[in-house]
Amino acid sequence: PSQVVPGADPSARQLCFAWGPAEVLVCETLFGHRGGSPSRGEGGPGRALLPGTLTACVAGTGEGGPSSSRLFVVRKDQDIYIQTLRKLFNESHGIFIGLQRSEEELAGKSRKAQLVQVSKNYRSVIRACMEDMHQAAILTRDPALHSQYSTQVSILSAMELIWNLCEILFVEAAAAGPLLLRLLDWVRLHVCDVDNMVHEVLSSENPSKHELFWNVVDVFVLQGRMDEARHLLSKEASANPTSVNMYKILDDLMKKMPVPSLGNTQTLTEMELKWQHWHEECQRYLQDGTFASNSHMESICKILLGDEDAILEKKDLMTTWYHFLVTRLLYSHPTVKPMELRFYAQACMDLFLGGESSPEPLDTILMAAFEFEMHQVIKECSIALSNWWFVAHLTDLLDHCKLLQSHNLYFGSNMREFLLLEYASGLFSHHSLWQLGVDYFDHCPEYGRVYLELHIERIPLNTEQKALKVLRICEQRQMHEQVRSICKIMAMKALRNNRLGSALSWSIRAKDAAFATLISDRFLKDYCESGCFSDLDLIDNLGPSMLLSDRLTFLGKYREFHRLYGEKRFSEAAKLLLMLMTAHIAPCSFWMTLLTDALPLLEQKEVIFSAEQTYELMRCLEDLTAGKSDKQKFQDDDVETMKVEMLRLALARNLARVIVKEGTLEGS
Amino acid sequence: QVSVINTVDTSHEDMIHDAQMDYYGTRLATCSSDRSVKIFDVRNGGQILIADLRGHEGPVWQVAWAHPMYGNILASCSYDRKVIIWKEENGTWEKTYEYTGHDSSVNSVCWAPHDYGLILACGSSDGAISLLSYTGDGQWEVKKISNAHTIGCNAVSWAPAVVPGSLIEQPSGQKPNYIKRFASGGCDNLVKIWKEEDGQWKEEQKLEAHSDWVRDVAWAPSIGLPTSTIASCSQDGRVFIWTYDDASGNSWSPKLLHKFNDVVWHVSWSITANILAVSGGDNKVTLWKESVDGLWACISDVNKGQGGVSAVTEGQQNEQ
Repeated sequence: PSQVVPGADPSARQLCFAWGPAEVLVCETLFGHRGGSPSRGEGGPGRALLPGTLTACVAGTGEGGPSSSRLFVVRKDQDIYIQTLRKLFNESHGIFIGLQRSEEELAGKSRKAQLVQVSKNYRSVIRACMEDMHQAAILTRDPALHSQYSTQVSILSAMELIWNLCEILFVEAAAAGPLLLRLLDWVRLHVCDVDNMVHEVLSSENPSKHELFWNVVDVFVLQGRMDEARHLLSKEASANPTSVNMYKILDDLMKKMPVPSLGNTQTLTEMELKWQHWHEECQRYLQDGTFASNSHMESICKILLGDEDAILEKKDLMTTWYHFLVTRLLYSHPTVKPMELRFYAQACMDLFLGGESSPEPLDTILMAAFEFEMHQVIKECSIALSNWWFVAHLTDLLDHCKLLQSHNLYFGSNMREFLLLEYASGLFSHHSLWQLGVDYFDHCPEYGRVYLELHIERIPLNTEQKALKVLRICEQRQMHEQVRSICKIMAMKALRNNRLGSALSWSIRAKDAAFATLISDRFLKDYCESGCFSDLDLIDNLGPSMLLSDRLTFLGKYREFHRLYGEKRFSEAAKLLLMLMTAHIAPCSFWMTLLTDALPLLEQKEVIFSAEQTYELMRCLEDLTAGKSDKQKFQDDDVETMKVEMLRLALARNLARVIVKEGTLEGS
Repeated sequence: QVSVINTVDTSHEDMIHDAQMDYYGTRLATCSSDRSVKIFDVRNGGQILIADLRGHEGPVWQVAWAHPMYGNILASCSYDRKVIIWKEENGTWEKTYEYTGHDSSVNSVCWAPHDYGLILACGSSDGAISLLSYTGDGQWEVKKISNAHTIGCNAVSWAPAVVPGSLIEQPSGQKPNYIKRFASGGCDNLVKIWKEEDGQWKEEQKLEAHSDWVRDVAWAPSIGLPTSTIASCSQDGRVFIWTYDDASGNSWSPKLLHKFNDVVWHVSWSITANILAVSGGDNKVTLWKESVDGLWACISDVNKGQGGVSAVTEGQQNEQ
C-alpha cells in the first residue's frame, strides 16, 4: 500500500524522513552527497567530494533552487481532527471507563444484559453523531464540506450497522428463534432507502390508487411487517370489491403466520410444527389458483412460501443482500440456528450480487460476522476504517464478553490491548483529546504505563495550566521521572523568561538542587544590583524546601534577616547575620555584602552586637581581607578599601561601647 | 491516508540533508549544503523562520535537538569537521560551543538520554567518535574514542536510559548508576556497541552482518521489556534488526528485515518503537512493523509523486 506525498518533485531525488511526535517530516534530498561513498576508485569519505563538485552536481541537473528546499509535514488523516466527531470520542470514553469498572461478579444473564446495554450505549453514541453530522451536512453551503459530512454519515452508518450485527450475534448471542427477530429488527432499522417511498404512499389521499402501492405492500411483507401490510391491503380490498375473497384469504394467512416468540410461550419444536402446517396451507391456496387473477397477491403468496425467485424479483426493494438473507430466512427457516447462518449468508450474497458486482469491504465484514469469524471482522474493519476507534472499542467489548482468545502479538500483549494502544496513541497527537488517551492507557495492563510515559513527555507544555494538568496525571500514577522532567523543563522555561520566582518554585518541585542553587544565585545577584528582592512571597514561604540546596537555604535565611531588620527586631537580626557567616551558610563571595549589612546595626544608638559577637565579626572581616592576595588588594578600588575601613572603624567603636556597657554594673 | 498538513519552504539554497522536529513537534530544524541551519516555528500549520544560523563552512549533515529541560539547544555537524552547539538565549539563537577536534567530516550527532546530563556523541569520517559533556558554566568536557571505525564512522545512536537493579526513587541530588551505552556504524561494515566503564568508553560488542559500509544505526526506545533492539542499514542494501535478550545470554542476534535494491541511507524508530521507517535509494520511505510471528512486514510506502493523494487502505495490520 502506497501513500503518495502530493507535490513532491518527481525527479530523481530521494526522501529523507524524520518522526515527529505526531507528524512525520519528509523532504527531498540526495543521500549520495554526504559522508562519501565506498571506494570505487574514488578517494576516502568526504575527501573526494569537494564543495565545488557538490554544487556542480545540483546545478547540472537543472534543479536546485526552490524546488529542492521544500519540506513536507505529513500526518495520517485521523478522525480525531474532525470537530463533529468530538462527541463520539468523548462519550465513548465515558462508556469505556464505565465498562472497565463494571461489576464482574455479575454472572450469567445479568452480566449479559449489562454488556448488551453497553453495546446499545455505544450504538446510540454513533447514531447521535450521525445525526449531528447529518445536520451539519444540511446546513453547510460549502459543497466540499457537504460532501465530507455526507461521507462521514455513511461511514458512521456502516459502523453502526456492523456493530449492531455484532451485538446480535456475539454480545447477545441470540439463540435460534429470537435470532431471526433480532435480524428482522436490524434490517428494518438499517435499510432505509425505501422509507421515502413508503411515506409518500401512506400520506397520499388514496394510497391504493398510488402507482407505488404494491411496492410498499411488498416492502412490508419482505420485512415481515405483517400488520402494516394487512392494513394497507384492507384499503385495496375496500376499493376493489371483486378481490374481496382473495384478500380475505391472504389476510388470514398473513395473520396466522407463526413467528418465533421472545418469551417462553412455545418451544422451537412447537413453532416449527405450526409453521409447517401453515406453510402447507399457503402451498394449497397457491396451487389451487386462488390468487391467479391478481399477480400482486400471487407474488406475495409466493414470498410467504419462501420462493427464492419471487423474493429475488423484488431485489430493488431490498437493496442489499443481507436484507435478502433475512427475508429468505423469515420465510423458509425462521428457526435458523446461529451456526447455520454462514451457509445461507454466502448463498444469498452470491445470488443477490449475481456475478454483476463483487463484494465491497462492508459486505466482507458482514459476511465474516455471519460466519462468526470475530478476528476476521476486526481485521477487515481495521483495514477499511481510517481510525482505530471502532475496532478498539468493539474488541474491548468482545473481550469483556470473554469471546476473544488471547493472541500473543510480538510484545506479548493481546489483541484488545494492541488496538487500545493504537487508538490511545492516536489521541495523543490532539491538543485536548490526549486526556482521554490517558485513561485508555490505564486500562492496558502490559504496556499502558510505558506508552503513557513515552507519550506524555511529548505534550507541549504551552501554559502553566497545562503543565500542572500533565503533572497531576503523572503524580497520580507515581511517574516520578516524568514529574521531575516536566518540572525541570518548566523551570528552565521560566528562567529563560526571567521569571525567577516561577523558576525557583518549579525547581523545588523537581527537587533539582543544582538548578535551585543556580536560581538562588540569580536572586542574590539581582539583589546586589538592585538592592531589593523580587518574589518575596515565595522566598518568605519556602519552609522546609529551603533545605534543598545550601544556596537556597542562604537565600531564605538572608531574606529572613532583612525581614527581622524591617521589623526592628535588631538583636535577632544580628544573631542571624552572624550565624550566616560563622556557620558557613553564606558563600564567601557574599560576606562583604553581609558585613556591609551589619553596618547599620553597628551604628544604632543602642548597642546590638555583644562583645563576643563583635569579636566574631572582626574575625570574619579579617578572614575576608587576609584571604585576598596582595595583588587583589592592589586591584581593589577606593570604594572597596573605604568600605573595609569603615567597617573596621564601626566594629572598633561598637566594641568600645559594648565593653563599657557590659562592664557597667546594673543600676550603678 | 495521509495529508500534507504543512509544506515548509525552507529557502535553503541547496540540498537539505536533515530535518528534525523538536520534542513537541512545535519547531523544526533543517540543515543544508548551503552551510546554514534554519529553525522554524511550525505550530498550527504555520512556518515562521525563527533563526538562520551561520557558522559552518561546509555542507551541514545532521541536526539534533537536546531535551527541553536543558533549554532550547540544537547541535549540528558538518563536512567542515566542526560540531556546533546552538542555544536560544533571551529570545535569540546563538552559537554556544564549537568543537573542532575532528580531522574530517563529522557525519552524525546524537544527544544522550536526558537522564545522563547534556552529552553529545559525534561520529566522524576520521574514524573517531567524540563525546561532548556539558559540565556547567558554558564548559564542555571532551572524551574521544579514536579509531572507533577504520576509514570512518557514519552514525551514532544512544541506548535508552535504563537503571540497572532497583527502581526505587533515588533521594534528591543523587544520580542513579546508569550504564551508558551507544551504538555506532562505520565504513568497516560494522555496528559497534560502546559502554562507559569507570569513566572510560570501551567497545563492548562488534556486530557483524553487513557486507558494505553501515550508513545508519538506530537504537529503539524502550517499552519496558528486558530486550534491546537496534536497526542498522547499509550500502549493501540490507537492513538488520538486532535484538539482545537479557534472558538468553550475552549476544545480539540479527534478523534481516529486507534486502533492498539500492543503498539504504536512513533508519528511524517511532516514539513507541513499534514502527521503523527506512529511507532507501529507491526514492521511497517504507514503514515496517513486527508481526505476531516475529516477521517484519512493510505496512506502507511513502512515495514522492505528483498531484493528489491516492486513496489508500491501512496496511496489513498484524492481528489475527
